[in-house]
Amino acid sequence: MSRNEIAWKEQPKFPSTHFVDTRIYTDNQIFREEQEKIFNKCWIIGCHESELPNAFDYRTFHHPGGAQLFMIRGEDMKVRAFYNICPHRGNTLLYDPVGNAKRITCIFHAWSFSPKGDCTDIPRGKEGYQERYGCKDASLREVKSEVGYGGFVWVNVDDDSCTLKEYIGDALGMMEENLSMPLEVFTYHKAIVNTNYKLWHDTNSEFYHDYMHYFNRITGMMQPGYFDRKYKGYPNGHASVGSMAIKYDAYAGSQERAVGWPGLAPGGWVLIDLFPGMTFNLRTSVLRMDTAIPLGPDKLIIEFRGLGLKSDTPEQRAERVRDHNTIWGPFGRNLHEDLLGVHGQGLAMRERSDSKWVLHGREENSTIHDEVGMRHFYAEWGKRMGRQASDPFSDNKLA
Amino acid sequence: MTPKQLIDELIYRSSLAMDSKNFTGFLDLCDPAFRYAITAYIPEIRKEMTWLEHDKDGMKVLFDNLPRHNSDHSSLSRHVTVYTVEQDEAKQQAKTVSALQVFKTTLDGGETELFAVGKIYDTISMNGGSPKLLDRNVRLDTRMLGIGYHIPL
Repeated sequence: MSRNEIAWKEQPKFPSTHFVDTRIYTDNQIFREEQEKIFNKCWIIGCHESELPNAFDYRTFHHPGGAQLFMIRGEDMKVRAFYNICPHRGNTLLYDPVGNAKRITCIFHAWSFSPKGDCTDIPRGKEGYQERYGCKDASLREVKSEVGYGGFVWVNVDDDSCTLKEYIGDALGMMEENLSMPLEVFTYHKAIVNTNYKLWHDTNSEFYHDYMHYFNRITGMMQPGYFDRKYKGYPNGHASVGSMAIKYDAYAGSQERAVGWPGLAPGGWVLIDLFPGMTFNLRTSVLRMDTAIPLGPDKLIIEFRGLGLKSDTPEQRAERVRDHNTIWGPFGRNLHEDLLGVHGQGLAMRERSDSKWVLHGREENSTIHDEVGMRHFYAEWGKRMGRQASDPFSDNKLA
Repeated sequence: MTPKQLIDELIYRSSLAMDSKNFTGFLDLCDPAFRYAITAYIPEIRKEMTWLEHDKDGMKVLFDNLPRHNSDHSSLSRHVTVYTVEQDEAKQQAKTVSALQVFKTTLDGGETELFAVGKIYDTISMNGGSPKLLDRNVRLDTRMLGIGYHIPL
């Protein structure tokens, strides 16, 4: 029997931890609060060290909190991160996404900076500022950065944040061995989708949507071990999913993957979601790394990286590229389906569309179709936001 | 028709076949040794990338699998202009460079947007006077492809 308006808006008969109000995906005030209370407080992946192989290599990054950053490797080979803003007239310092700069010079008035963030030259500085202002006053704004957990460059714009190690805790322990050797990014692309960033992270946090993927149904869901995969939650909203042996040759045109990954059983697949929007997805021969960068409550950039081992032979690398792009490239079988899914959610949940609830109510002893991964995320989200995801505009705000 | 006209027509017919999702018709235009790729240079990581790569059998399997997948059903319109044709009579082959613009039109409302631009590098076998596609590299400038697409360009 279909529902009328009252029934449609009735709270689901679940505990409040098992559903969310869809306004958390559409409301601009909530989005701004998320930037402030979540993205500007958490460690976020800016790039990978292999994208900065040489001294003075840099890479720009649109931080999900809003700041434009760049990461640069100094002469001392240390990677540092700065606001990509000239302190003079607020211009962008580095326009290209990648490059090499011994000296960073603003195109506007030629103020120059070292890769350590020191101002090194203000043209006609004495004439204009006399003794009132000089290079010592004009350094770049540095943000905290650390390289770790597979060679990723992490940034945190909160000067008072905990350390990266404290933030990650044991969440990446399942991949410790897999991330212990030098890695290299071999592919990178972005997608802009009209949806909320949490919906993308939700997709990465639940496997029930394998019903959407023919490839996953036939190579995973119909194979032994699939329903034994278990979720595990960690402090700070992170979660992991255990492995199984994927039967790649069950899909016509696909074959068992010849190249594996150190520390991972043949056909293995482990996945770790890091709060608030990063996913380490190690699938047999390829590590995929997603970074969700919200542009608004209903607009999202996702950065996709594919990584192999730095020690790969050309033949091994070619296989990893093929394995990755068969399912995860822009023309791959699975990524398009996942993006179509969150695009559809974005359409259905537009403000005033009268969408009301999203359910996270499946309980299956934390196994693969249990929705505990999402519940774990929203518990952390609620703690940081001081709001319940199921009732975000209640007067009963969380302490 | 001159060999140049036959080559032009082959390339244009291949786009018409793909636009109309006539995959059998597309494969009929291909040599048994046909190879297909979508490639791009990725400046962010300073690397070449091959996003899709198949031989003729692989393309057939990809097409056959399409109904089993959930896909965006917006239609694509491929606008191709053959820029250059270089014939190698000794090899009985021709190499061509074509400009490519791909537009996507939504089913709901028929809104059209530019999906991708790039070039198509074809190698064409001329054996028997009936040209066939031997190798196609769709070289994309566009790398931001929205939610992506299941069907080759």
